[in-house]
Amino acid sequence: MNLDNFNKVLLESVGVGLAILDATSLEILMGNRRFDEWFPDSIGSGKKVGEVLAEFEPEKLARKIEADKPYSFETSVHMKRRSISLAITCSRHTHGDTAVLIMECQNISKIKELEYMIESYSKMVEKQNRVLQKEKERVEKLLLNVMPKSVYQELKSFGVTTPQRYDDASMLMLDFVGFTDMAVAQDPAGLISELNDIFTAFDRIAEQFGCERIKTIGDAYMAVSGIPEPSPEHALNIARLAVLMLRYIKRRNSVHSQKWICRIGINSGPVIGSIVGVQKYVYDIFGPGVNLAARMEALSEPMEITLCEDMHKLIKNEFYFTERGEMEVKGFGTKKIYTLDGARGVIQMRSDDMIDNLPI
Amino acid sequence: MATMFERYGGFAAVSKVVMAFYDKVIDSDVIGGYFENVDMPAMIDHQTKFISQVMGGPASYTDDVLKRVHTPLKIDETAFKEMMALLRDTLEDFDMDNGDIEAILEEVRVRQPLVVHG
Repeated sequence: MNLDNFNKVLLESVGVGLAILDATSLEILMGNRRFDEWFPDSIGSGKKVGEVLAEFEPEKLARKIEADKPYSFETSVHMKRRSISLAITCSRHTHGDTAVLIMECQNISKIKELEYMIESYSKMVEKQNRVLQKEKERVEKLLLNVMPKSVYQELKSFGVTTPQRYDDASMLMLDFVGFTDMAVAQDPAGLISELNDIFTAFDRIAEQFGCERIKTIGDAYMAVSGIPEPSPEHALNIARLAVLMLRYIKRRNSVHSQKWICRIGINSGPVIGSIVGVQKYVYDIFGPGVNLAARMEALSEPMEITLCEDMHKLIKNEFYFTERGEMEVKGFGTKKIYTLDGARGVIQMRSDDMIDNLPI
Repeated sequence: MATMFERYGGFAAVSKVVMAFYDKVIDSDVIGGYFENVDMPAMIDHQTKFISQVMGGPASYTDDVLKRVHTPLKIDETAFKEMMALLRDTLEDFDMDNGDIEAILEEVRVRQPLVVHG
């Protein structure tokens, strides 16, 4: 084999760096121009490859050759301000009695740069995903404030929701006596801030009893139990909520100069729950039972809880009542009206602790 | 209307321009020295994001960041001019529209006060 000729014709013409090493001594016997550029003064100098390439590991080479596989590693060389990354592959070749190692050196700088960029952009995308995820959670939280979770899930899965009828539900309506006059007479901002505190406390009590706040309209607060998840205790829970709301207001009034006087009406009956609106979502409940609760509230004396026979029969064993007699209820005919005075026994759910722990 | 960034093919296209640009930069005897011992993959990545930004792509760098990273380098006006010339050269090599080239160069030029502190 005329290696000189081979050298001239082939080695010089390729873009990769090529060198031929003695398989035993690992001396660099010859190389092409590219190899010479990258590793100057190494060809034919008697230097072993390990002296030129620090990353070269003779033991690994031996193992690979033993297994009849090429040995590859990476290194970098510095050339006129440039750092060039090289991928090097050594393979063993025999010709008659002569055994040589052919070493190929590929310039992989561009690949390295691209790898870095891919890495960097995937990090960028991940970061943006995290931001989006956070935003999504924030939106979800906001939506969960205006509708029950199961309704939200239905909306998310199907894009629409169907109105649901709930046969066993109870509702509560509360508003404050003379709020409008209070608001104009005194510091309105301070008053709204107090109202906000009170409604927040109501929300927490409602949550404890598995009730949902449906909405507030000005100084009115409306809660429901038994929807969207049915509960056999819906009437009891609304009654408990009413008792504790009243207790909370009394406690608050004993500490604050501003006295809040509320009226509460409660009732049980079938309702339809549905999202209303397309752009502006409101989850609302409908049905005669809701109207009746509003009538009860209107009939209520200040700082009392009023209900009629419909609900009374569901909870009569658990609470004390005062009968107010039969009254004409607009749209509902004559109804027997009661005032709920308190619970027989202690309302469960750490009620007193809970009231104590609410900010007042 | 599509941004230059979108029209020329996003990050993939910009990264090709930036790689070619740094080939010229490193060969330049005027500014090549600034890039000695610099982590080039990181440099190219930053510059790809920056050029993408001035082409109307996603913004990665605020003026404050640009100023902070360039201040310690003490880059003078000559170096900045050379960089601009090489950038123009590269953009022309990629057959970009003349109006677009001017727009990109202008975007870079307005940031000169953030970069030059020599």
